[in-house]
Amino acid sequence: MAGAIIENMSTKKLVIVGITLLLFQAFAFMVGGLLAPSPTTAMPYTATKCVDTVKHRQEKKWFMPWGPNRCVKIQSFKEAVAQKIEANNIVFAVHIPLPNKEMSSWFQFMLVILQFDIAFKMYNQIEDGAMVTIDVGLAYRDDTVGEWTQMAQSFEQRKLNCNFTTTKTLENEGRFYECDLMPFMEVGSVSHKYYLLNMRLPVNERKKVNMGIGEIKDIRLVSIHQNGGFTRVWFAMKTFLTPSILIIMIWYWRRITLMSRPPVLLEKVILALGISMTFINIPVEWFSISFNWTWMLLFGDIRQGIFYSMLLSFWIIFCGEHLMDQTERNRFSVYWKQVGPIVFGSFCLFIFDMCERGVQLTNPFYSIWASEVGTELAMAFIIVAGICACLYFLFLCFMVFQVFRNISGKRSSLPAMSKARRLHYEGLIFRFKFLMLVTLFCAAMTVIFFIISQVNEGHWHWGERTVQVNSAFFTGIYGMWNLYVFAIMFLYAPSHKRYGDEQSSGQCITGDGGASSGEDIQLTTTITRVDGPTEIYKMTGKAAQE
Amino acid sequence: MLDGHLLLGWCSIILLVLVLSTPGPSAAYFGLTGNEPLTILPLNSVPEETTGRGHYKLCDRLKLEKKQRRMCRRDPGVAETLREAITMSVMECQYQFRFERWNCTLEGRHRANILKRGFKETAFLYAVSSAGLTHALAKACSAGRMERCTCDEAPDLENRKAWQWGGCGDNLKYANKFVKDFLGKRSNKDLRARIDMHNTNVGMKVIKAGVETTCKCHGVSGSCTVQTCWRQLLPFHEIGKQLKQRYESSVKVGSSTNEATGESEISTGRGQQPQQQPPTPGVSDHIPRTMDLLHIEDSPSFCRPSKYSSGTAARKCYKDKNCDAICCGRGHNTQSREVTRPCQCQVRWCCYVECKQCTQREEVYTCKG
Repeated sequence: MAGAIIENMSTKKLVIVGITLLLFQAFAFMVGGLLAPSPTTAMPYTATKCVDTVKHRQEKKWFMPWGPNRCVKIQSFKEAVAQKIEANNIVFAVHIPLPNKEMSSWFQFMLVILQFDIAFKMYNQIEDGAMVTIDVGLAYRDDTVGEWTQMAQSFEQRKLNCNFTTTKTLENEGRFYECDLMPFMEVGSVSHKYYLLNMRLPVNERKKVNMGIGEIKDIRLVSIHQNGGFTRVWFAMKTFLTPSILIIMIWYWRRITLMSRPPVLLEKVILALGISMTFINIPVEWFSISFNWTWMLLFGDIRQGIFYSMLLSFWIIFCGEHLMDQTERNRFSVYWKQVGPIVFGSFCLFIFDMCERGVQLTNPFYSIWASEVGTELAMAFIIVAGICACLYFLFLCFMVFQVFRNISGKRSSLPAMSKARRLHYEGLIFRFKFLMLVTLFCAAMTVIFFIISQVNEGHWHWGERTVQVNSAFFTGIYGMWNLYVFAIMFLYAPSHKRYGDEQSSGQCITGDGGASSGEDIQLTTTITRVDGPTEIYKMTGKAAQE
Repeated sequence: MLDGHLLLGWCSIILLVLVLSTPGPSAAYFGLTGNEPLTILPLNSVPEETTGRGHYKLCDRLKLEKKQRRMCRRDPGVAETLREAITMSVMECQYQFRFERWNCTLEGRHRANILKRGFKETAFLYAVSSAGLTHALAKACSAGRMERCTCDEAPDLENRKAWQWGGCGDNLKYANKFVKDFLGKRSNKDLRARIDMHNTNVGMKVIKAGVETTCKCHGVSGSCTVQTCWRQLLPFHEIGKQLKQRYESSVKVGSSTNEATGESEISTGRGQQPQQQPPTPGVSDHIPRTMDLLHIEDSPSFCRPSKYSSGTAARKCYKDKNCDAICCGRGHNTQSREVTRPCQCQVRWCCYVECKQCTQREEVYTCKG
């Protein structure tokens, strides 16, 4: 990597580039904050208690909670007791969405959370470790009058994590337990207009099914989906960013292939970073508008995973290549110790994701957290991934520390060096420090905005306008990492001022010595070259001896 | 004798004030505070199929004011919800006051008389009515019982667009707006009407203050990079409990009529300095901006049969718990009888209870007349 652009650029130009990037950054934040609505919407639903009047039904019937063909409903279970209705004949029906609304494929995904309202009764308490078994069916239709088509049908078990905060006395009968939220359903694409959920809680005394689950008063659901407006803004952003990154990537790689020497490791890694960024950017989600691709959610996770692991590897390799300890690296295998944890960690998360969202492709009600073994397995995966992350950050910190130690070591000996050698090291140091600064800035921004978006209620009122903090966070951070990758590819591409003279590194060093003054000095540097390091070190060594 | 005269004089003044200030029949109250006799409402029945204009009948039966009737008729869901709100409020009121002298008896006459005064009980009735209505509406929204709920401000097409673009506001916001609309915001110079309005608002505010925000993380692999929060109402039992607490700490707003000018001065209880009336008389509200329930008069004892209650004679009470308080020192009768009641019940989820029949000797305490 002879003379990257960043070194050959005048401060003025660098500042201009920086300001342009900052402007784009501000724009990205503004798009999310002012244009887009909040990223997701949560809609609460209360299940309607329908009565299935036929005792043993042969074919499947769907129960509508409201509308023209609404079911026979009961207000409370007191009526059910009076009418001697069996548990198996009570159907909890929820229609998503609410009346007069329809879902759209712009909503991208839909997850549903389950909550029970269980009243405390002295003689009907929730037993320890009680499990609810839910016989659930999901159906869809695309018009308001048609037949329902079954989408999924499953027997699901969920653990009731409820506690009663006050004393369990007769006086407190009728007060509700506080129960944890239960993940219930996840659909990776919302390609139908109307969805219907029918749930039953069958009782089987012999098999201990749904025994000791307390007095259920109501079943509540919360459905979460992405807002259509946010999806549009997001797609627009992706569609705009894809060509930008793609063009700079092609330009970057052309620069590298134009050089006489084969590309070094760092250059390859930067390219890989660009590729993984493009991979995230490519707006394949456009297809989800017209196709029923339920795997989009999983695919999105995989894409993000690849990008994150690439970014982490890039930082490690970048540090390693700037160590300045004269060891020959430039091979990927040198970094196995540092990259290993990344690969292993992301692999763990991948397996976990496949277990959760992968299985959800076939059964949307599946949740790895629902079963005891699944929870342990999931926790194991997450903990291993966490350990890997810690290990990685230890390595990274150690490496950064090493670089800084070497830098300070070199600093003291810089004046004594020959010009060529000094320029080489100054270039290295500048390049490293620049990236370090930018990376830290980006990471800090991510963390700060993440905290702001978590702490805040989701929107700020700013004069007349409402600023959607959450949306601003997503578009802003997404834009920021894009700009980061863009800037790296642009600034760390080989400078066109040099690649013509690559043939003789000797000339390279002597040629530009005092060409111009100030920042415009053409710092010709080498990191580790396949062809020339030994030569140049010999040369500079000689020069130093002289 | 002199005292008697004074008392008589005061009485007549109060009576005069009451007569002058009693709001007309147009009072837009509802639920426990409404004009309708609650007994005509089948509290626990299955709603008949509300096809077409079936709900009109229900709206008419509720004896609503003109504007309220219009709002009721707009949507079959509203009528049903209104009825449910009344049921809920009544049940909660009776549950919260089951150990008290005033046990929230709502037979027409007593209730109407309490509503004509400014007792603590009146305050509770207003608060629990509005709270019940807000709660029932929010719940009805989430059950899809109402045709128009959130996103309902704009015409249909724009609604759809708003929903597609950025979802809708939450049910609570809608419920609050509806209740405010429904119960009307009337600027009333009359102190009692303003107090009633205040207490109505307290009911809504208690609901609002009891909202819990719950969040769910659903980022990459379920991490918290993306999380969605929503607001949840407390169970109505909790609301009732809070309102009961507010009832107990209700603040008395004294109204001493200035005979010279006929303007009323208002002072809050709790030993504070009486607030001086600002120069512009009787226009702005002097009701303290608190979340406390307010009352004007001290409650009657509810011991003996009166306009406000049928007294506590023959009320069942619990020994060592409330017999002394309820029976007003008249003592209680102890009756020992044999009761057969279900025991050792095996309750299965929904609708099936298997019990043994146990016969116990039980002491029943009732207040002496």
